[in-house]
Amino acid sequence: MGRKIEEILDECLDRTFAGETIEDCLDAHPREASELELLLNASCAVMRGCAAIRPDPAFKARAWHHLQAIFHDRFGGIRSAGVVPIWRRAWTMAMAGVLLVLFSCVAVVAASTNALPDEFLYPAKLAAERVRMTLALSDLGEAKLHLEFAERRAYEMVEVAQQGKADRLLVLAGQVAEHLGELCVTEEMKEVAEEASAALAPAPSLSAGTERSDEGTDVEELGALLSQSREESLEALEDALARAPEALKPILRRTIESVAKDYDRTISIIESGSNQ
Amino acid sequence: MPVEKDIVSRAIKGDAEAFAELYEKYFGKIYRYIYLRTGNQTEAEDLAQEVFAKALEAIGSYRWRDIPFASWLFRIAHNQVVDHFRKQGKVERVELEDNVVAADEPSPALVAERRFELEELRDNISKLSPAQREVITLRFGAELSTAEVSEALGKNTGTVKALQYNGIVALRKLMLGDSQRWAER
Repeated sequence: MGRKIEEILDECLDRTFAGETIEDCLDAHPREASELELLLNASCAVMRGCAAIRPDPAFKARAWHHLQAIFHDRFGGIRSAGVVPIWRRAWTMAMAGVLLVLFSCVAVVAASTNALPDEFLYPAKLAAERVRMTLALSDLGEAKLHLEFAERRAYEMVEVAQQGKADRLLVLAGQVAEHLGELCVTEEMKEVAEEASAALAPAPSLSAGTERSDEGTDVEELGALLSQSREESLEALEDALARAPEALKPILRRTIESVAKDYDRTISIIESGSNQ
Repeated sequence: MPVEKDIVSRAIKGDAEAFAELYEKYFGKIYRYIYLRTGNQTEAEDLAQEVFAKALEAIGSYRWRDIPFASWLFRIAHNQVVDHFRKQGKVERVELEDNVVAADEPSPALVAERRFELEELRDNISKLSPAQREVITLRFGAELSTAEVSEALGKNTGTVKALQYNGIVALRKLMLGDSQRWAER
């Protein structure tokens, strides 16, 4: 007795989520192909619709700050998972262990630089990015990192497009938008702070003017980096579009459009900040 | 999966970085799931935040062997949505808000087109039976596997697959009806 159609549909959906094309699935199930094709096309329309629903990055950042406060109340401060007591008599062994872990971490981070989503080292790559973000010394440094990571996600999109992984493509496009959104949040927060300090300041001073000019230079630098990043990322994605499997092209085209708009919106926010 | 298991274990022990990773991975999915159920951006944001606050409170009682983490989290989300509707005393059919695609700023025509598509999708999903709707939003909105959906809903995988099949058949008919209505205008 053959398999039930709901079983076959479920298997095909899993394969489509993993980046295979509808045609791959139809070829694997020729007897059910006519019904499957209709159902899988409808499913893809639902997937596309769902992928367009994204939370506002600014709200997501605010919600995270709120949760951090709850986290601190519950656990009494940030604790690291890797803290191990060092016994006096065995301190040399422990230090050797720590050094070994340190070198291993450095090696893993170095090896993970080119890792792609679904690859073993990809979580290490993301963890290393979070560490770099935590260590950023200034708003400009943080903004540059968000831009660098947005660019990385865009280049990963190029790679997953070549692998035909539609679901990963949408996730990465969302992450590009999130990084660019964070960049806007940083700029918006800076503007709010500037307005507040301007309102509280008794009178403009020479040094305040100098700082303002420095920040203007920062914003201009960021604007220039963003424009360059937009050009390079979109060029790479357009190139990927030309080489992508046919079935993936409509989704890739839409995501390129969406990435371009995310860049344009961020550039306009940054530029409006520099003109004030 | 072993990677996520490790992250969850660290979060249970109070590792903020591990909890941040889980937040990063699931916030968008939880938001999307709730948004598909409520059709309201503000409600979806507030409820998604509450889901994580509740998860944080209860994470100490979570055991990996009982249920996958995603299923556990979406069970909380499901209960939040049910509570929300009960408190509001309203049924699950709400008009979509204008600012659903506010993350980017495309042309007004494209915004209208996307809003219309989303409104149609949400409207069609709301016409499914409650069980079909639950499976479709978890599978497509939250991107859970069939096994995770079955754990989240406490149904066996065969039932989930049948509900998924019937849900997609019904959605297809509804989508066809929409396009025919547009063609006739």
